[in-house]
Amino acid sequence: MTIERPADIAPAAPRTQPRGVACQCRNASVDLVSRSGPRRILGDINFDLHDGEFVAILGRSGSGKTTLLRVLGGLVEPTPDSEVSFHGRPVAGPPQDVVFVFQNYAASLLPWRTVHNNVALGLEGKVPAAEMQARISESLAIVGLEARAADYPWQLSGGMQQRVQLARSLAMRPRGLLMDEPFGSLDAMTKASLQDQLQQVHQHTGATIAFVTHDIDEAVFLSDRILVLDGSPATIAHEIPVELPRPRDQLATKELPEFLRLRRQVYDAIVATRD
Amino acid sequence: MTSVTAVLRRANVLGLATMLLFLGAWELLIRTGLLDFQNLPAPTAVAARAQQLLASGELMTNLLHTLRVTVLGWVLASVIGIGLGLVLGLWRPAWRWSMASFELLRAVPPISLVPLALLVFGFSVRTELTLIVYASAWPVLVNTIEGVRTVRPELRDVARTLQLSRRATLLKLTLPAAMPSIVVGLQLGLSLALVLAVVAELVGNPSGLGNALILAQLALRPEEMFAYVFTIGLLGIALNAAFRQIVARTLPSAKPFPGKAS
Amino acid sequence: MTILGLGPADAASAVEPRARRRTTPGRNTRAESFPPLRGLLPLVVFLALWQLVASGLSPFFPPPSDWAAALLDLWSSGVLLSAAGATVVTFGLGLLAATVLGTVLGLAVGASARTDRALQPTLEYARAMPPAAVVPIATLLLGFTGTMKVVVVTSAAIWSILLNTRSGVRQLNPVMFEMARSLQLSRFERVRKVTLPALLPAIFLGVRVAAPVALVITLLVEILTQVDGVGALIAQSQRNYEFAQGYGLILVAGLFALLVNALVSMLQARVMRHRPPA
Repeated sequence: MTIERPADIAPAAPRTQPRGVACQCRNASVDLVSRSGPRRILGDINFDLHDGEFVAILGRSGSGKTTLLRVLGGLVEPTPDSEVSFHGRPVAGPPQDVVFVFQNYAASLLPWRTVHNNVALGLEGKVPAAEMQARISESLAIVGLEARAADYPWQLSGGMQQRVQLARSLAMRPRGLLMDEPFGSLDAMTKASLQDQLQQVHQHTGATIAFVTHDIDEAVFLSDRILVLDGSPATIAHEIPVELPRPRDQLATKELPEFLRLRRQVYDAIVATRD
Repeated sequence: MTSVTAVLRRANVLGLATMLLFLGAWELLIRTGLLDFQNLPAPTAVAARAQQLLASGELMTNLLHTLRVTVLGWVLASVIGIGLGLVLGLWRPAWRWSMASFELLRAVPPISLVPLALLVFGFSVRTELTLIVYASAWPVLVNTIEGVRTVRPELRDVARTLQLSRRATLLKLTLPAAMPSIVVGLQLGLSLALVLAVVAELVGNPSGLGNALILAQLALRPEEMFAYVFTIGLLGIALNAAFRQIVARTLPSAKPFPGKAS
Repeated sequence: MTILGLGPADAASAVEPRARRRTTPGRNTRAESFPPLRGLLPLVVFLALWQLVASGLSPFFPPPSDWAAALLDLWSSGVLLSAAGATVVTFGLGLLAATVLGTVLGLAVGASARTDRALQPTLEYARAMPPAAVVPIATLLLGFTGTMKVVVVTSAAIWSILLNTRSGVRQLNPVMFEMARSLQLSRFERVRKVTLPALLPAIFLGVRVAAPVALVITLLVEILTQVDGVGALIAQSQRNYEFAQGYGLILVAGLFALLVNALVSMLQARVMRHRPPA
């Protein structure tokens, strides 16, 4: 399934000049309050996200990657001495211009609203009506669901529901997109198709994307850089740049020797995280 | 966690403290004269009167009357309700040829029958009992029918696979499966029995807590009224608790549906 | 389901038989299938027999034709209409107040475990109070007024709404709220666009049980205090030994009950027609 590129979305500028920093994370730690006292799940995380970069955050289950993403998304409060900022502003609650895409897509859509109105949710009252309609149509077109605009989420398949969530995020014209294993519970075909769509969105909007996954192939296929989390408390154990040509193709790119080399490198890094 | 803490947790100290807080506020407002509303008595006055009624045995007599008539009525209603419910639930023709009538009858609120029942049966315990039995039988009946009729199809398939006889299916599968629903019906019936008892005593039966309440009202004794109202409330809680205990002990697997937990 | 004076609101979580699965939008309530109409036969036969042997019975049991005549009398004199009006008004106001208060309180105790624990014994106790016992107190404090009636009805009908709202709040998925925060919705917007619509099914479930309760308690108050309404007429029939009128009014009460149930079902089906099937 290819995306029809809406006429007024310009492709992102080619990567020739050094990119600005979209997100900065210094000394970020997260403590979880439990019965036996506070437990540090993330410890002293330091990294930058550059404008327009696609970063994958990888790690085993329970490695803290979702927590890290939620810190970036302002949904989890890090320790007081952490410094997390987005576009220059410290993160205290969900940052402006940044949208979080949830793994549990079904729960993130409002069952009593149509697809159209679900996409409208973040725009209502913030944007003039005409523009809102235009953005909604545009986003639905991008994910290929214009025909289902009047349907309700429960009438759609899982993959479609995730696309609705995606459309809703896109309608916000975010500068940053935080995605928490968005394709994790989908079948392989739907996953591949959505990966392609995401890629195209990334190409065309130039948004900064942080993408949590436990799928190594997916991480290498989609990203410009992979952060591997490990440890207890979790830290960034490995940082692996991914320099594969774009646009990437599900078959061609995955046959490149560089892809295979990267894949092995990441796999080794993950395996090394086993105690 | 020490055992003291455990006990305290269970006893919901916060909750009890809040309750005492409300009572204390009530008392204070009356004492300081800030709240002077139509003879509203202070909690301490109510407690004092209750103490007197208890000591004189008056409270107990009334309580026992209401309790006896409630339980008796409920037991009768349950027998009728379960018996009839089983017939209607298990025997399709009976259900088909009579359920609609029952549904219509059921729609008539028992309260609307009270005045006429008084005329027909007079102002007596008999009236009270009749009303209780009539009203409480309905939830038991309805829930028994429901419980028996809506046995999961999977269970019915199990019975067939295991080649169970009709009798065995009934005794080993249908009835146990219907128990949670029946238990719910019984519990509803019990609450209803108490309610009807109080109503009947308020208007027609010269004994019991309801009657004492009305007499206190006529005699313009607000503290006594409140004392009786509180007693009625306590009786309701006690009956419910007792019922749950009995169910828990005799039919541990027939736990009432979720949502019933306190 | 008409149950008198649900004191302990264990009826609040009354048994709901399994809903049938639907995949198309439509009524999401349990299909209120009335049992086969041939089941009306016993009732019809009973009434017919009553009618036939009327002359042989004591004046305590006048035939159905007499009831109809008595009702017609009441109707043409306008008495029935005004009484019905009073009952409907009390019922409506009481149910409305119960819904609003029940929702607010249910939200409060559902959202905060602390508030829940703090209020639990008090609420539990209040719930256990049979409305009939509350009536004398209510008349003591509020007199024989319409307000008193509404207060009593509200105090009885509030429980199922409160409990169902509370359980609804506990079952809300936190993801919905995180999503709303991520989309930069203000607090007010979150309550209006997410919390309340999400709670609507639970609130409705509470209202479905509360409505018959409200009707029954309305009648109860009217019978006990005789302020106005159909219940007062029933009590009046008792005082005047007007049996036919009494039976007729009992029928009217039953009719009201059926109407209330039908209305609530219809309302629920309408409001929830786009929701996912249960």
